[in-house]
Amino acid sequence: MSISPEEIKVVPRGPEPGGAGGAYRAFGETLRGLRTTMGRLFDEPVTIQYPEEKTPVYPRFRGRHKLHRFEDSHLEKCVGCSLCAAACPAECIRVVAAENDPENRVSAGERFAAVYEINLARCIFCGYCEMACPFDAITMGHDFEMADYNRSDLIFTKEMLLAEAIDRTPLRGEGE
Amino acid sequence: MSRKVPNRITLTIDGREIEADEGAMLVDAAKQGDIEIPVFCYEPKLGQPVGACRMCLVEIEGIPKLQTACSTPVRDGMAVHTRTEQVKEAQNGIVEFLLVNHPLDCPVCDKGGECPLQDISMGWGNDRNRVIDEKRHFEKPVPLSPLIAIDRERCIMCYRCVRFSQEVPEDAQLQILERGDRSYIGTFSEQPYIAPFSGNIIELCPVGALTSYTYRFRARPWDIEQGGSVCTLCPSQCNVSFTIRDEQVKRVLARDNPEVDDGWLCDKGRYGFQAMYSLDRVLNPLRYEGGYPVPATWPEAIETAAAGLREAGSRTAALVGDASNEEGFIVQSIVRDALGSADVDSRRAPAADRETVVALADPAISARTIDIDTADVVLVLGTDPIHSSPAFDLRVRKAVRRNGTALAVATDRPSALDGGATEVERYAPGEAANFLIELAAAVRSGADTGVAGLLRGAEEAVVVWGERIGRGQKGPEALAALLELAGSLGFADRPESGLIEIPDVANARGLREVGCLPDAGPGLSETAKGRDVEAIRAGLESGEIDSLLLFGVDPLRDFPDTEGWRRALEAAGHVVCFSMTATETTEYADVVFPLESHAEKDGTVTHPEGRLQRVRPSAKRPGDIHPGWMVLAELSAAIGHETGINSAPEALEAITEAVPFYGGLTGERIAGRGIRWQDGQAAEDFTATLLSTTAADPVPAGVAPAAAEGSAGEDSGGAPGGIRPTESSPAGRELNDSGALTLGTYRDLWADSTTDLSPALNYLMPAQRLEVSIADARRLGLSRGDEVSVNSGETSVNARVAIRGALAEGTCFLIEGTIEDNANVFSRGEPARVEIGRPEVKLDLVAAGGDGEAGEQ
Ligand code: SF4
Ligand code: SF4
Ligand code: FES
Repeated sequence: MSISPEEIKVVPRGPEPGGAGGAYRAFGETLRGLRTTMGRLFDEPVTIQYPEEKTPVYPRFRGRHKLHRFEDSHLEKCVGCSLCAAACPAECIRVVAAENDPENRVSAGERFAAVYEINLARCIFCGYCEMACPFDAITMGHDFEMADYNRSDLIFTKEMLLAEAIDRTPLRGEGE
Repeated sequence: MSRKVPNRITLTIDGREIEADEGAMLVDAAKQGDIEIPVFCYEPKLGQPVGACRMCLVEIEGIPKLQTACSTPVRDGMAVHTRTEQVKEAQNGIVEFLLVNHPLDCPVCDKGGECPLQDISMGWGNDRNRVIDEKRHFEKPVPLSPLIAIDRERCIMCYRCVRFSQEVPEDAQLQILERGDRSYIGTFSEQPYIAPFSGNIIELCPVGALTSYTYRFRARPWDIEQGGSVCTLCPSQCNVSFTIRDEQVKRVLARDNPEVDDGWLCDKGRYGFQAMYSLDRVLNPLRYEGGYPVPATWPEAIETAAAGLREAGSRTAALVGDASNEEGFIVQSIVRDALGSADVDSRRAPAADRETVVALADPAISARTIDIDTADVVLVLGTDPIHSSPAFDLRVRKAVRRNGTALAVATDRPSALDGGATEVERYAPGEAANFLIELAAAVRSGADTGVAGLLRGAEEAVVVWGERIGRGQKGPEALAALLELAGSLGFADRPESGLIEIPDVANARGLREVGCLPDAGPGLSETAKGRDVEAIRAGLESGEIDSLLLFGVDPLRDFPDTEGWRRALEAAGHVVCFSMTATETTEYADVVFPLESHAEKDGTVTHPEGRLQRVRPSAKRPGDIHPGWMVLAELSAAIGHETGINSAPEALEAITEAVPFYGGLTGERIAGRGIRWQDGQAAEDFTATLLSTTAADPVPAGVAPAAAEGSAGEDSGGAPGGIRPTESSPAGRELNDSGALTLGTYRDLWADSTTDLSPALNYLMPAQRLEVSIADARRLGLSRGDEVSVNSGETSVNARVAIRGALAEGTCFLIEGTIEDNANVFSRGEPARVEIGRPEVKLDLVAAGGDGEAGEQ
């Protein structure tokens, strides 16, 4: 395709700085930056050695979910009502409930979650499930390290969510 | 009396002008103006409103106090307000009262998310409750029956369940116990609520007080999808809606269709879905090698089946049972067009010939289901709807209860409807013909007593008759008499009178009309006469027929003459069996193809009144099951006959082309509610082409009901419970000292594979029982629960004795289709004479616990 001369639009350039202005443009800004560099030259390094060291998160940080048990009876708080699944905008929660056997209770109510799965690959960490839960059975934890090699490993089951989280994420204290 | 078209009147609600039927209730009228009035106890299906809950209070100009909209009929010019301060206050108050004792356990409650109480509290309630006292406490949940759990804490005492039990199936088992704030729902002495329609109360309960054990906690409303279909477990063909989660049926709900089922389901339809997931379900094609089933691929199985059928050619016969119209149509086309045989049948025992089938299908003398509602007289003849088609039982009861319809029952076995009947006639097993001949004669001669008198005096009359009266040697006579009766009652000229046949299998009417009859092709057209089911059996045994195609039938369980069928299946050279589950019959097959259930199928079925209805796929086909029409089309092609059918709609198209009176019925027209072909454009076609060519005289010659002339008009001597001695059958009562009784058999509602294969229904499976009259029991020294053996010649079955007061002396009854001791071994066309003895081998029978009695008080 050839371009005819009429189609070419000439856009004028700004004036080329020359002389002092040019020299400042070439060196001045660079030196200003270098001053900061040099000034920090003898400071302690601020790199956080991530896997070994971690930035603390805020208390209301919404990380990986946790399911809870009652502290006294150790029954699961979740009754399998599926309200979290209904609230979830990413539709990543799946609950299949079942009836409790009074002899061998799993939760305190009539029903319990026989299957409770969250697909963390889909979760957008909005925390709606936590808000929907009438029993405070699910909360957003602080854990954000969930990378894995396999998508299906990102589907967290009830056992995984109930398990005491290995508290790897430090929490930011008051006023920090 | 006939259906009236009500006047239209105008009223204003909230300033909006609304047109409504005169006499309609205010709530219903308001709906037409898009105004919602909250209700709890109002449910038109249950009959007259009771005004128990007061949720529906509204202000009507000119009346100082608030009125219940559910029980106030509209008047012309009425001015109603539903949103005034006064109304709001009342609504808030009612909700507050309802919640006084209602536990707020919505998260664990099964109803949560589909609960009218939740909706109404949110929409019309206050957000605060002033009551701080302790709520009522009950043990929760307790079983009301093996199928239903009741949580009395949640109950808001709306009485819907009690009203259902008292007024719809009239079993009156549910009661309100105690009084005042202590009242609760239950049964007397905590008996389980066992009744054929019990499941309906779960759907009726506006809160989570009544829940289904099979659905409890299985899913939440946002986890599920609903798929509408039709239940094909019996000829009532109730409209259902399947609740699907994870592509499986979890629950079955009624899909109200007032013209078919009135919004009720029987428990078989409601809980029988479990059979779809039973371990006995055939999930992939099987080939039998050396007597053992081995899984086969589809092409392999089709090739094996086709090779056998091709080889047998015209020496092939087919029997069709649980099939859609499409499937039936292709089966008969395989037999007739691909193999050149004419031996195809869809009945369990030979019955009416083509001429009679055509004459009986005449739209002019056919009634619609809803004609029962408004008829002056209903005659239930030779069928007990509670067992054969439960929805009809409810409809007849409704007519009697709400419309004052006079009911006449004429059956061999005491029926569940006897209680509400004005006239009850009992004939000896197999003697329907004599009764009918007499009845027809009585009507002709102008008798005005008994059933004849009732029928003659009626402005509109409906005869609900069972297929079985047409069986046996005297079957043709019985049907001729029936036609004569319709003729002399002038059904043809009475728009809301007529006959409805209750067939033995769900889609019997459709299968006949698409050509699954030995002497009628698609559209009941004339064809080369083939063998009927009994002749097919005999032909197999004698080797005249070599190959057998069974589609959705289980002869060894369902057909009369079990032994004969066993011999026939053994003699058959090649058996291709389409079956949903593994049965005794499939063991005789060379190839077994899996069948879809009614939650998976795509096709049409025809209701006994001629209504085509669509069975729609809602759930996933488990395993490696292919659609029935597809397998049949492939099979046909493999035999060498292309059907040209490549999709389900094409299959329907093929039918509407081949059956002239189905003409113009497309899937869209049939839609969700179905359409009677008699109302389609092609009804005249039926009259013009079929009726004019067959019976100019609707009564086939040679069966003039002269035999009964003598007794015509004579007082119907038989009191309920006594057999009416007819001239041609003085037998009935006659006893011989040997103690032989005339055996009748009947198909119990629960005696089929759906019950065995659904764990929830298992407990309803009847063990064989012998019903005898009090007199015979006394004479033979039998008492309830005795184990006896019933013998006729070589054949014998064991049963437990059940004594029934209403049974006529000299007769006894056994159940067909039980797992063990199936009474079908006796039936060989004519009723057997049986001797009652003590069993030689003690069998450890499971106690029936009077289960079959459930609906028959
Ligand atoms: S976590 Fe909470 S909201 Fe989710 S199912 Fe369990 S109880 Fe219900
Ligand atoms: S159990 Fe349900 S249907 Fe029966 S009275 Fe109570 S709330 Fe109404
Ligand atoms: S709905 Fe009107 S009183 Fe209950």
